[in-house]
Amino acid sequence: MKRLKDAVDRVDLNRFRFWLQLAMFALLVYGGYLAVDLGSRLPMFSCGFNEEGRAGVCYLLPLQHQLSRPWPQLFGIAGVSVLTGFGVFFLWFIVLNKGWCGYVCPLGTIQDWITALRRRLGARYSRYTQGQFRQLSRIKYLLLALMVLIPLGIGGGWFSRDMGTPFCLICPGRMILPMFTGDFSQFTIDFSSKTALVMTALGMGITGLFLAGAFVKKRFFCFFCPMSALHYLISKPALLKLKKDGDKCTRCGDCYTVCDMEIKEIADDIKTRDIMMDDCILCLKCVAACPEPGALKANFASVTFFESTEAGFIKRSQKGIGLEQPEH
Amino acid sequence: MNSPNTKTAIPYNRSRQAREAETMLDHITDDFDDNPAAMDYFYDLFRRAYCQGESLEREGVRVGTTCIHAPEELIYAMGATPVRLCNGSYHYDQIGADFMPAKSCSLVKATLGMLSSENVIPKVGKLDLIVNPTTCDQKKKASAMMVGMGHKVYNLELPPAKESEQARLYWQRSVREFVQQLRQITGKKLTRKNLMAAMARTSRAQAAFRTLHNFRRKAPSLVLGKDVFLVTNAYFFDDIERWTEAVEKLNAELAQRDQDGFCAAQKKAPRILFTGSPPIFPNLKLPLLIEESGGVVVADETCSANRMLYDMTAVDEWLVNDMVDSLANKYLKPCTCPIFTNSDDRLRRLVELAKSFAVDGVVYQAFSGCQVYEMEQKSVAETLNKAGIAMLYIETDYSPDDMGQLTTRIEAFLESLKTRKRNRT
Ligand code: SF4
Ligand code: SF4
Ligand code: SF4
Ligand code: SF4
Repeated sequence: MKRLKDAVDRVDLNRFRFWLQLAMFALLVYGGYLAVDLGSRLPMFSCGFNEEGRAGVCYLLPLQHQLSRPWPQLFGIAGVSVLTGFGVFFLWFIVLNKGWCGYVCPLGTIQDWITALRRRLGARYSRYTQGQFRQLSRIKYLLLALMVLIPLGIGGGWFSRDMGTPFCLICPGRMILPMFTGDFSQFTIDFSSKTALVMTALGMGITGLFLAGAFVKKRFFCFFCPMSALHYLISKPALLKLKKDGDKCTRCGDCYTVCDMEIKEIADDIKTRDIMMDDCILCLKCVAACPEPGALKANFASVTFFESTEAGFIKRSQKGIGLEQPEH
Repeated sequence: MNSPNTKTAIPYNRSRQAREAETMLDHITDDFDDNPAAMDYFYDLFRRAYCQGESLEREGVRVGTTCIHAPEELIYAMGATPVRLCNGSYHYDQIGADFMPAKSCSLVKATLGMLSSENVIPKVGKLDLIVNPTTCDQKKKASAMMVGMGHKVYNLELPPAKESEQARLYWQRSVREFVQQLRQITGKKLTRKNLMAAMARTSRAQAAFRTLHNFRRKAPSLVLGKDVFLVTNAYFFDDIERWTEAVEKLNAELAQRDQDGFCAAQKKAPRILFTGSPPIFPNLKLPLLIEESGGVVVADETCSANRMLYDMTAVDEWLVNDMVDSLANKYLKPCTCPIFTNSDDRLRRLVELAKSFAVDGVVYQAFSGCQVYEMEQKSVAETLNKAGIAMLYIETDYSPDDMGQLTTRIEAFLESLKTRKRNRT
């Protein structure tokens, strides 16, 4: 048992993550061809517009649909289906918490691939300033609110039906993911009405921004993702947890250095035990980069399955430098 | 001038300065039984460097550093060799007194004394550059004096606080500028390859240090603190690869000792955590006194040992820019130096070390005249006491005059720790 744990703690996390993400990507984007169907309440961007390949659908699509029902229906019998839908989504979610983002979400994985490409090219990434960070980090909540309010408004008759699923219209997933199954049909601007025109053009722009942004900034889009905001709001009972033991932390900042989401608290906060912040994608890179035994931990249902260790740190960092550790 | 440094006819190895080192080294080796065989490398190194005055001159560009904040990986990467200049010699302390006000820190005086001498011990050769991180006031003001002595000095600007994001960014810029400076004097460019090679060397040295550090957790002790201080002191001027190999050998011996159930100190010897002003050879008098009086130094929080080697760098993307920023991060964020505005991290680290090394008491050394250590003393004592850990505060300097008085105090402290332990069980 101890040996297994040591082996896990010494894992080359980046490599493990790369393969797992690749497998998840293949499953979610192409699984549909093998008749895999995980339902339409998935807590990440397995885009529903990838109609042929998808192995399941991103919950935001049905959610927006449901919310745009006419009010009498929504507040009547259809309300039950909204609630059960949310329940299923919630059950999926609590298993992995934001680990859905760090390991499963195809849109997140694509961003990591773009990052890898940039790294290959030797280009440097950019970071936000603290001030920018604090501002930007709010946008996802705004998007989440709009994503709920606009469909409600449609149901109430205030907005045009062309605005149905408003977030999907501007979501980069809608154009990018179907592309992987050879479907480029989403790359069009809809001229049928003014609203449709504006929204699809905006979507086009955002997709461009997504690609360019991910090239200069790690996980560029995830800072703005309303799914991430929704996750955070319901993350308390989740099973997968990121824990910190402040007493063991030297505040060396190594975890912050590697964090794609620039989460400063991961290094600086020594009081909070549940250290998953709202932007966190539970990639666990911080755990792998922490040299202090037990300072950071990943727990599943209160059982620690991966934690920071000195030996693990040294092994990973020396591998990074290209220095193989002699077996001792 | 009739400073003690005036050229005389006697050869170095018979000079008073050599005798100072020799006496200390003799105590370290002869007052104890069962020194690890692997320590011979270090005893011999110090004998050659400090007692015989043998040359340790390195090829190429030599960069002196006056503090742990100068990133050595960058210096190595550019093909230069760093030498830590912080000095522990009473002989130089007296010479340095000419430069500094009466009540100032022995370490700064000794460093200045050494830099003003023609005969520099250890003999590391002419320095092409001195990197002086802007830490405490005395070191800051020493910069101009070093320039006055004819040295080329680069002031590496360190922020006065380390928590804020501004501080981090400011320091990253300082470090990047330092790279430019190194480029000027070495004529070399920092590349991914040479920096990776340099980081690999330091990383291996640090890994060896951490292993040694971890062996000291064992109770009863496998190794004495006086030896470990000698080991880390050697890091100041020794060839890094040779040093690492020697430490790895020592570690192998300690592993063997562990298996054999060997005790380097008495089973009941009070376990001491050493903090405060750094012990630097030949001024190892305090750790030595502790161990001669029956205590054992099992851990330290000083910039001549733990603080210099413990914290390791994490890099996300192995590209020059990210590597340099990550290095900058390592040299600022985990540092527990008292010159920073806030002392929280130092307090927390002390408590954590005291707990994880099953320490019985803490000895806090402050060089008289070192204001920052003197000022933090009280808060450290309070924090430790709150955690139920006794602390002895000792203000001293490089002169051997207070040895008698220190012995009495240390013995009394160790005695009280023993009583405490007995009462507890
Ligand atoms: S467009 Fe975006 S939000 Fe809508 S289903 Fe696709 S991934 Fe989900
Ligand atoms: S935050 Fe990123 S990884 Fe998570 S659901 Fe949104 S796009 Fe996917
Ligand atoms: S890497 Fe570990 S020790 Fe360093 S700041 Fe992060 S949690 Fe603390
Ligand atoms: S805090 Fe840790 S798990 Fe969360 S995004 Fe940052 S590195 Fe990943």
